Amino acid sequence: MTRWRQTGIGLATFALLVGLWFALTAWSGIISAGRFPSPTDFWSAFVQINTRGYAGGQLAAHAFHSVVLVVMGFAVAVSTGVPLGLWMGWSRRAEAAINPVFLLIRPIPPLAWIPLAILWLGLGDAAKIMVIWFAAFVPSVINTFSGVRSIERPLLEAATMLGTPRWRFVAEVLAPAAAPMIFTGLRLSLQAAWTTLVAAELVGALLGLGFILNVAQQDIYPAMILVGMLSVGVLGFATTWLLGAVERRALVWNVAGSER
Amino acid sequence: MGSILFDNVSKVFGRNSAGIKALDNINLEIAEKEFVAIVGPSGCGKTTCLRIVAGFEQPTSGTVSVSGKVVTEPGPERAVVFQHFALFPWKTVRQNLDLGLRNKKLAKPQRDDLIAGALRLMNLESHADAFPHQLSGGMQQRVAIARAYVLDPEVLLMDEPFGALDAQTRVAMQEELVRLTRVNPRTVLFITHSVEEAVYLADRVVIMTRRPGRIKEVLDIKSKRNVENWNRFQKIEDVMDQESFIHLRTHVWRSLREEKPDTTT
Amino acid sequence: MMDRPLKSRETIAWGFAGLGCFLGLWTLLTVSGLVPRQFLPTPLDVVARIIELLTTPFAGATLPQHLASSFGRYIVGVSLAALVGIPIGLLMGWFRLLDDILAPIFEALRFIAPIAWVPFAALWFGTGIGGPVMIIFAGAFPPCLINAYRGARFVDPRLIEASRMLGTSHLRTIVEILLPASVPSIVAGLRVAAGLGWQSLVGAELIVAATGVGFMMVQAQANVSTPTVMAGMIAIGAAGMLIDVLLRQGEALILRRRGLGA
Repeated sequence: MTRWRQTGIGLATFALLVGLWFALTAWSGIISAGRFPSPTDFWSAFVQINTRGYAGGQLAAHAFHSVVLVVMGFAVAVSTGVPLGLWMGWSRRAEAAINPVFLLIRPIPPLAWIPLAILWLGLGDAAKIMVIWFAAFVPSVINTFSGVRSIERPLLEAATMLGTPRWRFVAEVLAPAAAPMIFTGLRLSLQAAWTTLVAAELVGALLGLGFILNVAQQDIYPAMILVGMLSVGVLGFATTWLLGAVERRALVWNVAGSER
Repeated sequence: MGSILFDNVSKVFGRNSAGIKALDNINLEIAEKEFVAIVGPSGCGKTTCLRIVAGFEQPTSGTVSVSGKVVTEPGPERAVVFQHFALFPWKTVRQNLDLGLRNKKLAKPQRDDLIAGALRLMNLESHADAFPHQLSGGMQQRVAIARAYVLDPEVLLMDEPFGALDAQTRVAMQEELVRLTRVNPRTVLFITHSVEEAVYLADRVVIMTRRPGRIKEVLDIKSKRNVENWNRFQKIEDVMDQESFIHLRTHVWRSLREEKPDTTT
Repeated sequence: MMDRPLKSRETIAWGFAGLGCFLGLWTLLTVSGLVPRQFLPTPLDVVARIIELLTTPFAGATLPQHLASSFGRYIVGVSLAALVGIPIGLLMGWFRLLDDILAPIFEALRFIAPIAWVPFAALWFGTGIGGPVMIIFAGAFPPCLINAYRGARFVDPRLIEASRMLGTSHLRTIVEILLPASVPSIVAGLRVAAGLGWQSLVGAELIVAATGVGFMMVQAQANVSTPTVMAGMIAIGAAGMLIDVLLRQGEALILRRRGLGA
């Protein structure tokens, strides 16, 4: 019963908001077209970018480009961050040696790497991937490390008692046991990757969703800004949902609770 | 194969002056296939004894040997059954049993055989592909015991294995363990708080003093058990009804009570 | 199979070794000429530049002045987020209907990174204070809201029952029961909001500002002054860390007074 009620209220609110949107923009003009687009403005911008294209390409091309960068950056960050976290969690010496360097780098906000990346690698894809890597790397390491450190001692003792050799220990005991927290880290990494990419594309790019936002802002084209923003939101949601699906599959044994 | 020898074992935790002396000169010989239970007040070091045999702790002085070899690190020949099961939640029952066998580098057909045998032994055949969280506490502990048994260990180390189970399951598991050790005997070192459990299960009961732990007394159960032939009973309550059992149990209780500082005056 | 915990002597030794390796390798890359000094100044170059920037202006102001500008808009943004987010969160936690109405909206907006609001911020506020404040607000608002919501929603039901039994009105319940009960959650949320707000600030200043540390870094990048860029990064990192440490202390203090300390 409550499920229906919630959906009902959700839809009603949505309808109300759209109505309000129309009312405030197109019908009454309280919000001028130069500040926020009306639904019709939004629609024509949406149609434009999908047919004639905008800022050098159609929406699909921009979106694809951004998604590819996010996925690549995320993949690099995760494939370096998780193993490092595992190593630091397992080896006290590695933790002691790496921690100071980590503490130095960690407080630097991901977006603060953008000017340096542009300086080093220009405005192309390489710079974007570098910034995404820095941004997405840290949450993966920290959460993986925490995950390993919070494994209950008896589990580790049991694995040792069974004579488990090193690599099997990491692959079949450490990693699965830490998996719930690792996935939390992955979710944070994905979030960081998107934020950083959009920012990086806003600062300097030649293609991509952030680039659309940039050009639309300079053209003073609010409707297109909105198209860009919603595209970012939709793709962010889609990638997050995909990660969630992978997580549910991998953690099917985890009844103790998967956090949102 | 499977004898345990404690030779002048002492254990201190922490730095020398501020250290806690958990064990003080433990000397104990456990023969092959003997079932020995250790009881004692909380903090007396009985779990420490087991952990030293398991290889999770090192003695501060003295040595522990199993089958004549000094113990330095954990291994499958000294299989451990933990109080809270320590099953790997991401592995099915079958996979939990398989890990130790794969570590021994056995071939698949052989592993499958051994696993099937262990499952049959512990009545787990219908749950072979379940995850631990889908099983009750009693079943999980049976998996833990199966995981230990499948390794054909020289020594079975059980650290308050039934402590986390409810009273009825606990009794069922005690009966099960007796059945198991009759069908498939081996050396067992069993730590428990429960006096009844110790007297019911063991060949000998070791009573420890409070910290620093020393061996206060070693009680021979087996001879009484054989004389009175407890084995003729299937049910635990029938055994516990025997005068010989009650007598032994009371003896252990009295001995333990001396270890408790008297707070009633 | 797992390492034993190290003594503090060993930890410090390994720490120095790791740090030393890092700084050494860095310096080596520059000094050997593998990477031009213009792009990778030595650690000492960066330190020197920081000291220089304390008194010499760059891009219109000294480093402390830039930091002050940044901090000013940061405070405004975070305060706004807290003042708006916490009450709404509490109300949503108490009034189920409000929750049903607003939650889907916030859920939908959640996936739009705060930084994506920058074009509108630029459009509406130019390079005035409004722009960065809006972005900081976008970043700091969600944790304030969510934590206040959680605090109210998951308050011990027995406290609510006791309050009901005593005939307490809605408003009084919210102010005198829910709010105090949610303080630990709210305080934790503020700490997270402060962190996210600081990060959003940086992003905003890269694009819609004419003063501030982020602005300074963009100018430095355009002028290929790498030491300045790095000086900015370090300043931002240090400031962020300071804010976090202070807030953690504050949080611990509040929790201790409540008897909830770790």
